[in-house]
Amino acid sequence: MTGPPAYFRSSQLARQQRKVAYLLLAPAVIILLALAIYPLIYAGTLSFRVDPLYNPKVARFIGWRNFTDLFEDSRFWTSIQLTLSWAFIVVVIQMVLGFLLAIMLDSKIRGSGLLRSLILIPVFISPVAMGLNWRFIFEPVTGLANWILSNGLGFEKYSWLSHVDTALTTLMLVDCWQWTPFVALILLAGMQSISPEIVEAARLDRIRGIKFYIKIVLPLIRPVIMVVILIRLVDEIRMFDLNYIMTEGGPGSSTLLASTYDYTIFKHGHLGLMAACGFLILLLINGVVGIFLNTLYRSEKAARQENIS
Amino acid sequence: MHPTIYSRALFGVAIALVFIWLVPVMWVILTSIKPTNIINSAVPVFLDFDPTFDHYVEVYERFRFGRAMFNSFVTVGVSTLIVMIVALPAAYAVARMNLMHGDAWALAILSLRFMPGMVIVLPYFKIATFLNIIDTQLVLIVVYVAFGLPFAVWVLRGFLLDLPKEIEEAGRLDGLSWIQIIFRLIMPMAAPGIAVTAIFTFVFSWNEFLFALFLTLDKGSTMPVTLQKTIDLYNVLWGSLSAGAVLQLLPMILVVFLLQKHIARGLALGAVK
Repeated sequence: MTGPPAYFRSSQLARQQRKVAYLLLAPAVIILLALAIYPLIYAGTLSFRVDPLYNPKVARFIGWRNFTDLFEDSRFWTSIQLTLSWAFIVVVIQMVLGFLLAIMLDSKIRGSGLLRSLILIPVFISPVAMGLNWRFIFEPVTGLANWILSNGLGFEKYSWLSHVDTALTTLMLVDCWQWTPFVALILLAGMQSISPEIVEAARLDRIRGIKFYIKIVLPLIRPVIMVVILIRLVDEIRMFDLNYIMTEGGPGSSTLLASTYDYTIFKHGHLGLMAACGFLILLLINGVVGIFLNTLYRSEKAARQENIS
Repeated sequence: MHPTIYSRALFGVAIALVFIWLVPVMWVILTSIKPTNIINSAVPVFLDFDPTFDHYVEVYERFRFGRAMFNSFVTVGVSTLIVMIVALPAAYAVARMNLMHGDAWALAILSLRFMPGMVIVLPYFKIATFLNIIDTQLVLIVVYVAFGLPFAVWVLRGFLLDLPKEIEEAGRLDGLSWIQIIFRLIMPMAAPGIAVTAIFTFVFSWNEFLFALFLTLDKGSTMPVTLQKTIDLYNVLWGSLSAGAVLQLLPMILVVFLLQKHIARGLALGAVK
């Protein structure tokens, strides 16, 4: 992180500039206090109340009841478990495929720029619009997926999204389709910021191909990798749109991720319970991010000590 | 460096892979101009059909998609504008001024971006119901400002940190006031960064679904919420769906092509700095 430019460090100007700086920051802070922090606190108070959507008159404070109710609900635990394994599996797949994709696109051949912008398309298009269309592709009778699988690979026609054993995998496939290019593009930006001297030195040492990427590039872009993992983890834990659009948690609760579970509580009109569940999702995100950063910090510390000794 | 046979082969694989990757998108576009009987044929038809724009008319008339497009443009456009007006001074303050704990402020603001929507949407739902602004463009504008701001401040900060440190000094020696320094020196230099940030903010809100689902029903609905009505208990209209989807996707695909280079840089900045 960098300090302020010299201009603002110079003597008596500094204090005056600081006042201006707070003035410039103030609108953003006030807006966020009003539109993000206040709702968060409001949601906090709601989580201790019973507050039926269709019968607001009986709303009242009930202490920790919402939380204990959730802890006793097996569907809640199933969804939390599913969310954690979902996030883990999907992020691992996206990172590995993203890295390979980035290697393929890390080229100076003419046309690679066009390829890079083409592969960006999935990242920028709406998960809802694509999710609905994926349902068409996976449609059992007229869908493109079944046609390819049965004609090309000899599979039986199958209703991929309405069977317990394949719905989750299909959803994972679509999610990875959308987000692997995002991972690849950020890793690629990291790769291309590696200094030419290092690349040249590796070439002289005859380190080439996949070995070059694993031995030289991977350690150098480690910080970028960590940030991408973090972004993807958070987004996958709070995943809602694709999940809701493609399966709504079904069949049964085989694809019921935490946010979609929370949505079903809303649909039943239990607003207090919904707020409590929302907070538990927030807690889950904080927990996972905390554990991730902590392990990262420790492994970095260990690596540094190894270097010293 | 000449491309070796190895790297040429790899590039060939990359071309094939990207093509396969985009098949679903091409399929959507193709489906949107197919007659209904071709869409529903058990054997997929690729190019052998008479193109039609019936589905575009259908999605416009039956699902009032024109209104949804208008809502999308208004809510996302206005909120993006507000976000940029507020985020720019804030980003300048945390990046280039003598603010105490500037980085801490930036991180605190950024952390708000990682809140799960499910926590925040309920208070918005209650307040909007109370104020009777549910199902309006206004409520979505407010939410999109709140959710666009943290990311915009963070990315702009990255771009502003990238500018040489001597700009302010040079401006002062030329006798410019700090307002003049910002408008005459910093803004023009940061223009690409400002544009990229605005586009990212726009894209996030353009594709946003959760808040739009909770806070709008019909007359305030944006395109993503309207789209799902083509495939529900009462309708399974794949043609309307794909036509609507194309209208929703097209601006984003244009963005990708027009701004390819800047986007990669913006993505990297948002993630790395």
